[in-house]
Amino acid sequence: MDSYGGYGGNSFSGGGGGGFVPGETTSPSGGRQEGNNTTLRPVTIKQILDATQPYPEANYTIDGQDVSSIVFIGQVRNISTQATNVTYKLDDGTGEIEAKQWVTPSDEMDTTDDLGKEGKDRNGVEINGYAKVFGKLKSLFGDRKVINTHCVRPLTDLNELHFHFLEAAAVHLFHTRGAPGGVGGPGGKVGGGGDAAMGGLDGAGGAGGGGGMFPPSMSATARRVHNLLKTEPQQNEGLHAQFIAAKLGLPAPDVVRAGEELINAGMIFSTVDDQTWVILEY
Amino acid sequence: MSLQTPRVLPSHLHAFSPSGPRSAPPVRLLGTVSALRGDTATITCGTHGDVTLILKPDSHLQMGKLVEVVGKVAEMPEGGLGIRVLATTDWGNPASCDYKIYEKVVDVTHRLKPVFYDSAE
Repeated sequence: MDSYGGYGGNSFSGGGGGGFVPGETTSPSGGRQEGNNTTLRPVTIKQILDATQPYPEANYTIDGQDVSSIVFIGQVRNISTQATNVTYKLDDGTGEIEAKQWVTPSDEMDTTDDLGKEGKDRNGVEINGYAKVFGKLKSLFGDRKVINTHCVRPLTDLNELHFHFLEAAAVHLFHTRGAPGGVGGPGGKVGGGGDAAMGGLDGAGGAGGGGGMFPPSMSATARRVHNLLKTEPQQNEGLHAQFIAAKLGLPAPDVVRAGEELINAGMIFSTVDDQTWVILEY
Repeated sequence: MSLQTPRVLPSHLHAFSPSGPRSAPPVRLLGTVSALRGDTATITCGTHGDVTLILKPDSHLQMGKLVEVVGKVAEMPEGGLGIRVLATTDWGNPASCDYKIYEKVVDVTHRLKPVFYDSAE
């Protein structure tokens, strides 16, 4: 990947299709490229229902980030077992959605008699009980959302439910406001900010809560690059993008994009070449 | 929009009372069953006081158990607000749940509208 990335890494970064790389032109924050995002994101059902596609057939995005693998928790309202799949209807208090689990032939051989017994599936998921669902968000016929799940398991500890909501909230804040901590500031911790900032529209009023002078519209990568430039011991000419990429464990094109973002915002400037940056202190 | 059931604490009940401006959604409330009186019951919500429940004939509550209640806020005959139960979920021993975390969840869910509820109050 490294040697590949150096060779024309700016224009083409990874497995996106053909000559059109969506993230490049449409989103300055540089979301991950199609197909590369294998992160499992905790979400609420409302977030799934509100997820949008930037263009037809694209991956769904939540808070401007591609999502494919998701995990959510809900109370099971219905389980319907068909020959090829089991459909769960789930409700977590923020909305209601259906998740489909396709039955693989080998499953069918082993457990045909167990499936669909008295509102209970073979993992012990019950109607009106809570379940944790791991799956992928897909579009069906353009506008309908389906979740293809590969694991639905019963949830028995209430703390896990509460934790999930808090985690979903934390991930949402990470994507809309950047990483917690940030640059000094008394309100560095998420939730430490004032009520007004938290309750306001996302991004718009976030600066107060997010910490100090870092603009809330910046991507999380940009924030990490900025932090590294601030804290890493360095010579007068600053740090090279490759060095930052290695240090943060990020793909070089992402770092370059974050750098451009920071340069455009006037927060860093380039020195000996285009990709060696120093923080602009004032 | 699909039906939402915001999680609340006893002090938020007034915001979902039937006399409010709009038809209020049902709410979810977590508490420990502290009294059973036939068709009504009382749950204790951590350090936030008690709430009276108007039960359904098929409600099965057990003393001392932690329950999650889904129901409509109703005005009680003896004054004050209670909850007309739609459904209950038994969560077993109250000691196994940290009520402080639930308080935080309620707090966060009402601050972050894009993640949780469309309009809480």
